[in-house]
Amino acid sequence: MARPMAPPTRKKPPRIPRQVWIGLLAVVLVLGSIGLVIFSFTVIALDKDIRTRFAGVRWTLPAQVYAAPLELYAGQRVDAGALRHELERLGYRSTENLDGPGTFAMGKSRADIFIRGFHFWDGPRPEARISVKLDADGVTDVLDLDSQQPRDIVRMDPMLIGSIYPQQGEDRVLVKLDEVPELLREGLLSVEDKGFYDHFGVSIRGVFRAMFVNLRAGHTVQGASTITQQLVRNFFLTMDRTWTRKINEMIMAVLLERHYSKQEILEAYVNEIYLGQDGNRAVHGFGLASYFYFNKPLGELRDHEIALLVGVVKGASFYNPRRNAERAKNRRDLVLHVFRDQGLISDAEMEAAIARPLGLAGNKKGGVERYPAFVDLVKRQLRGQYKDSDLTDEGLRIFTTLEPRAQEALERSIIQGLATVEKSRKMPEGTLESSGVVTSVDGGEVLAVVGGRESRYAGFNRALDSRRSIGSLVKPFVYLSALEQGDRYNLQSILEDEPISLRLPNKQVWSPGNYDRKLHGPQPLYMALAHSYNLPTVRLGLEIGEKSVVETLKQAGYSGDPALLPSLFLGAVDVAPIEVAQMYGTLAANGFQSPLSSIREVTTKEGEPLNRYPIRVKQTLPEGPVYLINWAMTQVMRLGTGRAAYSKIPDEVVLAGKSGTTDDLRDAWFAGFAGDRVGVIWVGRDDYKPMGLSGSTGALPIWSSLIKELNVRSLDLIPPPDVEEQLADTVTGLKADEGCQSRLLVPYLRGYAPAEWAPCARAATSQPLQWLRDIFE
Amino acid sequence: MKTALSTLPVLRWSLAALLLALLGGCASSVGERTTRYPEQPPAQTGIGTVRPAPQPTAPAPNLPIPITPGNGSPVAIAPPPKAPEYPKSAEAISGQAVLSLMKQAREARAAGKFDQASGALERAQRIEPRNYFVWSALSRVYLDKKLYDNAESVAMKSNSLARGNIYVELENWKVISEAREAQGDSIGALQAQSRIDEIQRNLIGSGG
Repeated sequence: MARPMAPPTRKKPPRIPRQVWIGLLAVVLVLGSIGLVIFSFTVIALDKDIRTRFAGVRWTLPAQVYAAPLELYAGQRVDAGALRHELERLGYRSTENLDGPGTFAMGKSRADIFIRGFHFWDGPRPEARISVKLDADGVTDVLDLDSQQPRDIVRMDPMLIGSIYPQQGEDRVLVKLDEVPELLREGLLSVEDKGFYDHFGVSIRGVFRAMFVNLRAGHTVQGASTITQQLVRNFFLTMDRTWTRKINEMIMAVLLERHYSKQEILEAYVNEIYLGQDGNRAVHGFGLASYFYFNKPLGELRDHEIALLVGVVKGASFYNPRRNAERAKNRRDLVLHVFRDQGLISDAEMEAAIARPLGLAGNKKGGVERYPAFVDLVKRQLRGQYKDSDLTDEGLRIFTTLEPRAQEALERSIIQGLATVEKSRKMPEGTLESSGVVTSVDGGEVLAVVGGRESRYAGFNRALDSRRSIGSLVKPFVYLSALEQGDRYNLQSILEDEPISLRLPNKQVWSPGNYDRKLHGPQPLYMALAHSYNLPTVRLGLEIGEKSVVETLKQAGYSGDPALLPSLFLGAVDVAPIEVAQMYGTLAANGFQSPLSSIREVTTKEGEPLNRYPIRVKQTLPEGPVYLINWAMTQVMRLGTGRAAYSKIPDEVVLAGKSGTTDDLRDAWFAGFAGDRVGVIWVGRDDYKPMGLSGSTGALPIWSSLIKELNVRSLDLIPPPDVEEQLADTVTGLKADEGCQSRLLVPYLRGYAPAEWAPCARAATSQPLQWLRDIFE
Repeated sequence: MKTALSTLPVLRWSLAALLLALLGGCASSVGERTTRYPEQPPAQTGIGTVRPAPQPTAPAPNLPIPITPGNGSPVAIAPPPKAPEYPKSAEAISGQAVLSLMKQAREARAAGKFDQASGALERAQRIEPRNYFVWSALSRVYLDKKLYDNAESVAMKSNSLARGNIYVELENWKVISEAREAQGDSIGALQAQSRIDEIQRNLIGSGG
């Protein structure tokens, strides 16, 4: 400020010379102008900031990750209970009458469903009212309720299972204003900014009204900031309570109002406002909050749910309904009163809504981030094809292969299985860890992944990253390498079960033993596998060589490069469960390998297809020998180390599998398959300490529960053209007929079945003559 | 393993082995140690003792040769029994949902929408994972999409599942032949063509 001039010392009242006045005015003018210029520059800068940010990419939109949709068709093996569960998981609401998309009415043998519309990669599927008829085996008919015509197949909307957001980032599901329920729109304004449509960004009246309302209520009910100011604060500014920020906020609010319509501002607000926190993930906007708290789209929220979301706006942490349920309910009920006072709902509706519980979906942490281990796999598959920023900012829609039913079955089997075994072995709770993978046999889709017993929390993903010794899981590949040499080996080839000592390259002597530390005499090849005997396996391995086994492992899908040592034959190779699933999947698909995939399609946020992932197939192992080893693995299940599975699974379901145990019982594995599913289970300790469990005692019970819950198809063993089956006498391994009491139909590579009759065979009595006849013929 | 060792089979076996040894001069002899399995002359091929596999019986005419990895055409065709026994079209082995998706795929393909066509067939494949008609149709669409390598493999997969259904195999070998041709593998294409010719001859021969 300019200093005033010293007063004159004359008697007469001093007369300020005109020049002084002019000078003073000039100074004021100059300073004013400078201030104005500075202010203008500030405003222009803020204006530019607003326009560029608001007009450009307004939000970074994390990619949305969807599970595979459930298909409904006659023959689908989903019973009434499972269908209800599926619908509830999708956030469908049970009603008497279908009163809108996302509702269903369930009877004993019939389910009426009002399906939500959904934009799939191949186009939109409009909402529809259908009726599904069911019996004990599953769906028998699907009928369109509007046209009363049968429908061959109906795709349900897929479940949103997660999103790919930046490390410390905002997550949101974008909604358009016309998708926002009227009660939410009006209710939000009545609580947060009653004069929204009248003010110019800042409301003087609003400040006074808020003061009045808050004083009357005795506590803060309304804030003084307008919706526009709140948006500016959320969008551009920090939350500091400083005067500069407050002034900037007001200027920007006014500017925003000058450039954009009320509708645009409200839409932005609805998508921007902070409504919750889930670990690193900040939940922004009502679109995501609706899924985060209630697991359904915004359009399907009911009065009490809308009121809760509106209530949370005031303080997502303070009113966090999962942590502070009572406080949140009080806030919700207060909001419901405001709704009633504003005439948005009736008295009766308010009372009904107040009577309802909060109705939150999910657990305490909740939210849509349900399957972190699977989403982790999806991210890895996308890596290299998309930039990180494409995934976190562009709102891509990723349609994955996750089958929620399989995922739930896997999680439940692991959690219950570990608890049971810890209890029975008197281990402290939480001693054991486990991971598992489920894939489809033909097509190689990953259907479920569990990375640890705390399956809801992203952490060390053991299914993908924990590479541990696979023990006897390697044996099928050792035996397969042998069976590929049809002129040397078949399933009945006798292997000695005798002690063996080997001098290794490092001069150490290696003397492996059987798991039960016993010798069992000579064993036919398939029995040695069924009982997982080590000594016959090492002997066989040494005959065919480490190289040949590694070759087979690689053809099955193993990506490592193990040392060529005899310990390889007993599984001294470190493999992650997901890769074990790949390897066993190649066997399950008769040697046709499908590289495991977790993604089907990727589209833009508008639904334009960007990428499709076709089924990929390549024959990497010969069909005949694979058939033989699969047959041998069915014997593992029938009479070997996997037989306990049949205490849970019906006898008629044919399964193939193999147990795996490592030195000192540090790792327990079970890997196997039915006609349509491959399952791999690992159990162990993170600190690598022995845990006293083998593959059969630690992993098999979990695997069996999993297979039972998956409702698998039986393995159909139809021999390929280069395989023939012949009755074998189980005692001698030779050709049998009805004369042999214990006989088994055994497959052989065509042309390599034993021609010699077993002594028990009726035909054997004439064998010498036959033999003579053969010579002459 | 079902029956425990009974004396009778051992005796019978011993007698039989003795007889064989006498008659044929075979080297088999019964070991002193009693096990469930007769001792065989050890084949000293390494450290383990492995019973020599029986000599292959003479392969029946037209029977495939056992395959090994790396063999150019891993799927051999079994001698066609009676062609008409095999289903000629998907209707015979498919559910309504799959047929509906296959129809969608046909329409999409006719309209040049190959992504839609393969998408519908992939859905069908998930419903009936072993339906070789679906795999066969899928191989044709992958061929349309110029995914030659995959088209060939998927056709092979269909062949493997078809277990001798020559109607499906005929279509599959056509895809394989075209896929190989498109990849510049003329010899492979010719081999596929010879399979086509063979199947066509069989079809004519069987009146199919």
